[in-house]
Amino acid sequence: MTEQMIIQLATSFAGSLAFAMIFGLRRRYLLAAGLGGLISWAVYLAVHSFIDEIFIGCLAAASVAALFADILAHVYKAPATLFLIPSLIPLIPGSSLYYTMSSLVRQDAAGARYYGIDTIKWALAIAAGISLVIAVRELRTKKDA
Amino acid sequence: MLYTDAQRREILHCILDFGELYLNTGGEISRVEDTLSRIGRAYGAVRMDVFVITSSIVVTMESGDGESMTESRRIETAGSTDFTRFEELNSLSRRVCAQPMAPELFREDIRRIGEHRTPFTVSLAGSMLAAGSLSMFFGGTWMDGIAAAIFGAAICWLQSRIGRTSLNTAASNLLISLIIGLGAGIAARIVPVLNMDLILIGDIMLLIPGIAMTNAVQNMLVGNPLSGVVRFTEALIWAGALAFGIFIAIWIMILI
Repeated sequence: MTEQMIIQLATSFAGSLAFAMIFGLRRRYLLAAGLGGLISWAVYLAVHSFIDEIFIGCLAAASVAALFADILAHVYKAPATLFLIPSLIPLIPGSSLYYTMSSLVRQDAAGARYYGIDTIKWALAIAAGISLVIAVRELRTKKDA
Repeated sequence: MLYTDAQRREILHCILDFGELYLNTGGEISRVEDTLSRIGRAYGAVRMDVFVITSSIVVTMESGDGESMTESRRIETAGSTDFTRFEELNSLSRRVCAQPMAPELFREDIRRIGEHRTPFTVSLAGSMLAAGSLSMFFGGTWMDGIAAAIFGAAICWLQSRIGRTSLNTAASNLLISLIIGLGAGIAARIVPVLNMDLILIGDIMLLIPGIAMTNAVQNMLVGNPLSGVVRFTEALIWAGALAFGIFIAIWIMILI
């Protein structure tokens, strides 16, 4: 593990916990929310070390985050959304979006395209990961009469 | 149904209040639709037709004697995510579905939950910690993290001030990102070890409609494309406004 990875894991924990605070999550759930962020980033890093493709890594991370949220929801008898949203924070492509903009200002078309595609990949992968878990959940529950 | 017409009207009204609050608190469309149907059935409706999109709720409640009642609600405010309220609404709906309470009590509970606000100090601390740590997450130094935390506090304060006016979310995002962008640019000029890009990356995470966008794509993929498209368009406009504010700020910093 590099120093950068350790910093990223620590800050993904802090960042997810902080967002849970902004969203007014009850104090007793805050650590769990932070842990969710740490787990999703750890999964991303682990997958990324095997497959050098953002989409796959992020898809895996988002799926694990959604599973983690489902488990916590079961344990605490609270909606999964409360844990899912903070867990996804480290996956939101803030830096790609920013660099897309700054490339546009500097009239660097190649840079804007590169970072723009990056941003879209992250966003799609998050959504696909969650939908995958939802679809599995729906498969396992029966239709109500 | 054992209820009189007036009581049914009251129940339907409560259901709409509940839906409005749930939607404004961060509930997903499909969750709101599902919950409202369940509550209606718990109160004895034989059929519930609930249609929810981001800006409106329509509910038709049909009782056993063939009478039906329809009410609609226009949702004006975008609302802000509040997980404590979210959780309480969720547990209230479970209680109501298990054992329907008198409409007056239901109304009282909804009103009480609607009054909950996240304390300003908590969101301030959260904004600082989030901006600071995410700036470092994306490669910023300690110094960048501290600067991002200070600007994060400014964002939180600006959001609460602007939230009291009737300025819409897109315009408010544009204004805040422009102010923060210029602030970070000037700070990086005065203190050259600071990195404008990395400070701003931490701070814009507070403004990016990441949740709205994720919810939207999720809606589109799992069977509610209409709401998904509406919310996605909204989120794109917000993100565009944010990006445009940053764009102008970077452009001004290049010129001066």
